[in-house]
Amino acid sequence: MVDVAVVGAGQTKYGNHPLGLKGMWAEAASKAFSSVDGDFEPTSIDEAFIGTIAFGGAQLGNTAALLTEHSGMDGIPVRRVENACASSGFALRDAWMAIKSGQADVVVAGGIEKMNDLTPERKRYWLGVSGDTEWERLAGLTFPGTYALMARRYFHEFNADHDDLVHVSVKNHLHGSMNPAAHIQKEVSFEKAAGGFMVADPLTLYDCCPTSDGASCVVLAADHVARKLTDTPVWVNGSGAASDHLALHDRPSITQLKATQIASSRAYSMAGLTASGIDLAEVHDCFTIAEVLATEDLGFAKRGDGGVFAREREGQLNQGSTTVNASGGLKSKGHPLGATGTGQVVEVFKQLRGEVESGRQVRDAQTALTHNVGGSGATCAVHVFGRDRS
Amino acid sequence: MTAEVWMGYLVDHQSDFTVVQSPFVLDSVRVFGADSDATTLAVAGVLHRLQHDFIESISVPDGMDGASLSSATHVVLHDIEAEGEASWEVLMSDEATVVVARRGASVELQKLDVEIEVDRKFHTAMMDAWARELSNAHVSQGAYISRAQYEEAAQSRLSMQGQVIRSTVSWPPRFSHLVDGDQPPLHQLQRAGAIQSWTTLSAAGAPSEFALRAPLLGGISTVFLQLDDGPRGVFLTVDDEDSTFTMDARMELVFRRLYAQEGFVRYGLKARAIHI
Repeated sequence: MVDVAVVGAGQTKYGNHPLGLKGMWAEAASKAFSSVDGDFEPTSIDEAFIGTIAFGGAQLGNTAALLTEHSGMDGIPVRRVENACASSGFALRDAWMAIKSGQADVVVAGGIEKMNDLTPERKRYWLGVSGDTEWERLAGLTFPGTYALMARRYFHEFNADHDDLVHVSVKNHLHGSMNPAAHIQKEVSFEKAAGGFMVADPLTLYDCCPTSDGASCVVLAADHVARKLTDTPVWVNGSGAASDHLALHDRPSITQLKATQIASSRAYSMAGLTASGIDLAEVHDCFTIAEVLATEDLGFAKRGDGGVFAREREGQLNQGSTTVNASGGLKSKGHPLGATGTGQVVEVFKQLRGEVESGRQVRDAQTALTHNVGGSGATCAVHVFGRDRS
Repeated sequence: MTAEVWMGYLVDHQSDFTVVQSPFVLDSVRVFGADSDATTLAVAGVLHRLQHDFIESISVPDGMDGASLSSATHVVLHDIEAEGEASWEVLMSDEATVVVARRGASVELQKLDVEIEVDRKFHTAMMDAWARELSNAHVSQGAYISRAQYEEAAQSRLSMQGQVIRSTVSWPPRFSHLVDGDQPPLHQLQRAGAIQSWTTLSAAGAPSEFALRAPLLGGISTVFLQLDDGPRGVFLTVDDEDSTFTMDARMELVFRRLYAQEGFVRYGLKARAIHI
């Protein structure tokens, strides 16, 4: 079966972007196309998958068609992919499958969200649309509340405390301070992060990712095309995805995400790797507790040791065997919902090709993983990448 | 006289009627608590009465949500177009008081001795918030469920009616029987459980349905409960101003208002510390 490589990747800076949907997408696509080493024309693209929640509802229908006409992709099949915050992680998987199936040679996967042009009331509504409305939302829960329930239970089950989460925040702000594409490019002290405004007890402001504008775009190619476009492709060696109960109360445990465990198991198996073989991971830290859980569910730490992994800064740049969220993660780089999944791939693409800023480069990075979660874990897509084909 | 406290309300149980009163007073007049109204008092009264009597059917006064009362108690609501009269009726007074009475009973209200003075400013602001929510113009949709969706799950939401699926009690309802063809037997869950986790959302972070009242309450609290019958669930809390949540603390589920929208109130069960 054909192998698939990332041959180009680009994104806007995350944060408060001056442009709207069309402009942001055009900017991300342009950067992705120009990052392709060889001669590349958007007319060579066979198909496109664009992840977005369509936050704010400004272009809820036919989003992909509206955007692609501003990036030179005329007439090809396109569609919007929606799986909450994992939308573009699944767009990537769909693009990968389109090439794997033999139906396409060059496919674009991307994502976009415009979040900061809304009133607080409208923003609050859209931030909650991916939760379980009928039972969780009616119990007053938003996603900070949902993850706060997970955090408190985690503290209880594993003798952890809020300081463990603070270490995640400090680390990711450190990484983000070096990333020119990050929404929040500044370090935060332990004391400041520990004493932030309480959003959903026990989670403070510094445990929560910001709401960001942003777009990201990656170009995938079948191996026989990739070879013509670049000498340094980044191979998609594993793809796994899974789903779980939408509501926390239907899950056997609220201190682990089954969808992450299943998706990563499938991706590792396909790539012929285990967690110990991953040099850098971009994980879905929408809240700091989410990174703690992810390090366990992805196998970087043993069950119950995610807090220790954070406390000992094992995920800090070039400190342990796996650097976690070298980009700053969602916490610092930002979280433009639909753009986040393929935004993680942009980081991995640059890291594996040695193209990030010198202070942020993971040494000798050969393998990488992206982990993109929808909502509180109802959906998850995990991809494993390598400089070499597995 | 000394009143019994039942689901957060004061109850005076007599042979042919049950009086249910709010414990809160303002200027010596009984007033509803933050999440209560005549319907929530009536549900508590009917559930109390059902411990002693079978209620074949009941009639409710105008302005009370009889459908929600019926879903919460499993008592048949009397059809006003049907012949005859209901065997029981709900009577409503002006002062946050309802009476569940056998039809024709002679009701005598006794003064109950529990009075909790409410803060005037808080009470006025809360009642104003409910009035604004109830206006048809208020259509914020952060936790929106339609009337049809509310009614579909009313038995589960309001009375904790569950199912038995593969020998395991399940709640809220699942619909897999529509695929495998076996209608699961129903199971009435107890309205109690133990805290597994909790959070208090800041007022700014609450779903917009609660946005008018959350600032008055200083945020809203939600508990994740292990229910006594096995399933788990999340519930807003009530009467929790002085409460400190702890793991494994016991909570009971009481019928209260959740929010209002498009002119009608969505009711639900809220968690209340059993020791209060």
